[in-house]
Amino acid sequence: MFKPLLSGVAIAIGTLAMAGSAMAEYPERNIQGTIQWGAGGATDNVARSLTPHVEEVLDTTIVLTNRAGGTGVIGMNHVMRQRADGYNLLYGAENPQLYPLMGLADFTYDDMHPVNIIGQGLVVIAAHPDSPFDNFSELLEHANENPGELRMGGTGAGGLPSTIHAMINAVGELDVRTVTFGGDGPGVTALLGEHIDFMPLSLSAVAEQIRGGRLKGLAVITSEELESLPDVPPITEALPDIESFLPWGPFWGVFVHEDTPDDIKATLEAAYSEAVDSDEFREFLDNFGGAPLNLSGEEAQQYLDNWQSVTAWAMHDAEAETVKVSPEELGIPRP
Amino acid sequence: MSDTISYLLMAWLDPGLFGLTALGVLAGIYIGAIPGLSVTMAVSILISFTFSWDINNALALMVGIYVGGVYGGSRTAILLNIPGAPSAVTTAFDGYPLAQKGEAGRAIGLSTVMSVIGGMIGVAVLAGTAPHLADLALQFAPRDYFLIAIMGLLLVSTLSGKSLARGIFSVALGAAIGLVGMDMVTAQPRLTMGSMELLGGIHYVVVMIGLFGVAEAFYQLHNMAKVPVKQKVDKIVPPLSMVLKFLPLSIRTSVIGVVVGALPGTGGDIASLFAYDHAKRTVKNPEVPFGEGAYEGLVAPETANNAAVGGAYVPMLTLGMPGDAVTAVIIGALVIHGLNPGPMLMIETPHIFWFTVGNLVLANIFLLIFGLTGIKIFSKIVEVPKAIMIPLILVLCVVGTYSLNSNMTEVYWMLGFGILGYWLKVFGFQMGPIILGVILGPLLDESYRQAMSSVGDNSMAFLGGLFANPLSLVLSSVIILVLLGNTPLKGWILARFRRD
Amino acid sequence: MSKKIERVQAGEKVFDWLLLLFSIGLLFEAYRIDGGLLANSAGSFPMGLALVMLAASAAILASHRYKRRDPRIRSAFHEFQVFLSEHFKIHIVVFTVVAVLYLAAINWASFYISTAVFLAAMFIYFRQGKVVSSLIITAAAIAVIYVLFTMVFRVYLP
Repeated sequence: MFKPLLSGVAIAIGTLAMAGSAMAEYPERNIQGTIQWGAGGATDNVARSLTPHVEEVLDTTIVLTNRAGGTGVIGMNHVMRQRADGYNLLYGAENPQLYPLMGLADFTYDDMHPVNIIGQGLVVIAAHPDSPFDNFSELLEHANENPGELRMGGTGAGGLPSTIHAMINAVGELDVRTVTFGGDGPGVTALLGEHIDFMPLSLSAVAEQIRGGRLKGLAVITSEELESLPDVPPITEALPDIESFLPWGPFWGVFVHEDTPDDIKATLEAAYSEAVDSDEFREFLDNFGGAPLNLSGEEAQQYLDNWQSVTAWAMHDAEAETVKVSPEELGIPRP
Repeated sequence: MSDTISYLLMAWLDPGLFGLTALGVLAGIYIGAIPGLSVTMAVSILISFTFSWDINNALALMVGIYVGGVYGGSRTAILLNIPGAPSAVTTAFDGYPLAQKGEAGRAIGLSTVMSVIGGMIGVAVLAGTAPHLADLALQFAPRDYFLIAIMGLLLVSTLSGKSLARGIFSVALGAAIGLVGMDMVTAQPRLTMGSMELLGGIHYVVVMIGLFGVAEAFYQLHNMAKVPVKQKVDKIVPPLSMVLKFLPLSIRTSVIGVVVGALPGTGGDIASLFAYDHAKRTVKNPEVPFGEGAYEGLVAPETANNAAVGGAYVPMLTLGMPGDAVTAVIIGALVIHGLNPGPMLMIETPHIFWFTVGNLVLANIFLLIFGLTGIKIFSKIVEVPKAIMIPLILVLCVVGTYSLNSNMTEVYWMLGFGILGYWLKVFGFQMGPIILGVILGPLLDESYRQAMSSVGDNSMAFLGGLFANPLSLVLSSVIILVLLGNTPLKGWILARFRRD
Repeated sequence: MSKKIERVQAGEKVFDWLLLLFSIGLLFEAYRIDGGLLANSAGSFPMGLALVMLAASAAILASHRYKRRDPRIRSAFHEFQVFLSEHFKIHIVVFTVVAVLYLAAINWASFYISTAVFLAAMFIYFRQGKVVSSLIITAAAIAVIYVLFTMVFRVYLP
């Protein structure tokens, strides 16, 4: 009984040794991809439609696992604790950049190496078609006359709506009741049934509902009108001062352990860059309501730093109650 | 019209789609039967796998796995008392006692036929009333989900067996387990005792595998020497008279299933609980008491959870909103394949709707065929000596829990719940109420806080809202009727009598 | 087993007291969430649940007044002995200890190796020998798990 066991152990040790010596042949086995949000969400969709293209380039299999929970803390924490051999990747969204600010965790993407910042999403403030407001200015005006009456859909502290709300409050005032849902999906459902009055949502979650006339857009979080959403005014029409935060949007990226050998980082960066550039993925992202970024290396780091400083200070200036630590203490410079 | 028919028959006439549906159902039955392997997971793996396929092929496989998987959960529930999926928890209540009496074959046969009946009713409702049902489902406000959760909690009187106090304790314990983790609204850690691992909460499948699978394995250690019951395998396909006898019940529970399934906030697990409760309240004189191997206790959850499949497709196909976790992933698949799931889906690509309907019917027919074959071999599992079965069950529970999230900590928790479950079982606590709490606790907390926030934290406005809207009024009235007419008085009197 | 519920089982009262203590602990933990009983906050439901558990466990303890200890059990110490002999039979203890060791071993000795050792050891122990057939069953089980989980469903096992 011990013989096969021993040979099994020997083979296992052998493969480990080989993995240690023959780095040049990376990747030589399956790669584990961890998605920090649940199945069917935006990050999940982006990860799953990008990965087949990467598999083609790298000629290996990337096994994707959803590890949702705790605003993504769980999934990121898992990848950071794996060996730095390039066989564990994190597919993440923007949230980790705000973890220390909200006291969720003491790490951010600074503690990992960005392989690729895939793309950025756009944000729409949506309402039911029967809503008395046709644009965000009207809604703001009503909210200022009747503070604390309108119901805004949210996805909890650190979620997209809470960040948008903070930005609006940093340059203006919007006093509403926040009704929290488990994600974009349940929020849109509540909006469809008129159980809430409006909700800031990623374009990918509502584009189809708007096109089908089931919802209407009150504003897009950009400084110019979007081609894909005609007649929805940019938010700068209602709040010109918000321009200083723009362009702003949630993003998706792929990350790997910081201590990963440089040649593996380079292999991964090249592969992901090629995959994000593929026509099929571009088409998907376009259809999905996102804009491709395809940043890596220094550019990616700059993008991450800039995003963090803009968002963190907006939340700080809005005195959002979820901000537990000031960005100054964390060493985040003002934009 | 001819277009509709050709879309409907698409999966039937194309050999490739036909084969993929069959393969999906077969794979689904095994995925469903293994605790920890979920249909949601299988379908999300399929997304990358079928990326380069034609969308219809991918959908056919997914529909097959979905239908097979929902049914498959009943297999292990009946044979081993380990529900393969949360929606099969209620199936274990009467299915396992049946297997212990040597009727595993009959139980599986009946649950197969009933699953197919439930599934077909679900498809019929989907095909006939999808847009209207979807509009009805949208009417459910957070306060209505709150009322549904309360209604669900009233099931504790049905599930807690002899001692109501123990039942209530178990429900609250389950709900507390369900609330562990980061708070949805404020992101505060709740009941995590400072643990980072617990921020993401305790997955209810971990609790389920521990309480049912491992606890049962430990419990069985007491009667290691007992020779397993010889299984009767001659009468597997239930006779027509039996099917007809349960037909009225199965239609009622299917309707419960399809409606609960169509609500975006609830799925097959809650549907089967409601159906079981409905059966227990309406069937006055079952041949065998509920909980000891009543066929009715098998019919109700099995029809309801399969009918919920059709229900879950209702908001997905008409509005592009998921009816449950599986349809959420299927929506993702549509997006990745370049389709636009949303209200325009039925107008721009009507073939998706009718193709799915036809495919669901086909999948249910395959379910009947695959479900009824191989039962004899499966029943033999119950006859495997305990000395072999018990270590194997533990390994199965470990693999199942690990494959959920690839997390060893959850495996330790699973063992912990197994040991806790053993002691609770020994001292007269039931597992059903704990799972009821785990499932309903988060829904109750979420919907209550959404409803309260909607009215600006005004308790009076919240209470008023429960009666102001017609839908809420109906739900509230049902709760009050059940409370007044049934639970406390009856339960209290019964408890008095039994306490001697 | 559950049929003789009217009689208090050995250890039942102690267990019910433990539940009460657990409820108090939970109440404390829930109280820490937002330091009071608020109508709509993160802590409102945990607090409520802890209170319900406290009340229910108190009711369970109260119901002990209607129950009798098995007349054959003479004293608290005897009850303890009965409890031990009922729930800590040697093969139960062995299984539990080996199961815990098995779970601990998975992390450093890989899933397949520790599972093979665990299954083989438990089969041989439970079946009192029969080494060859036990090993065959172990091998078959491992093969099925490998094919199903690693090959078909591509679950990554440690």
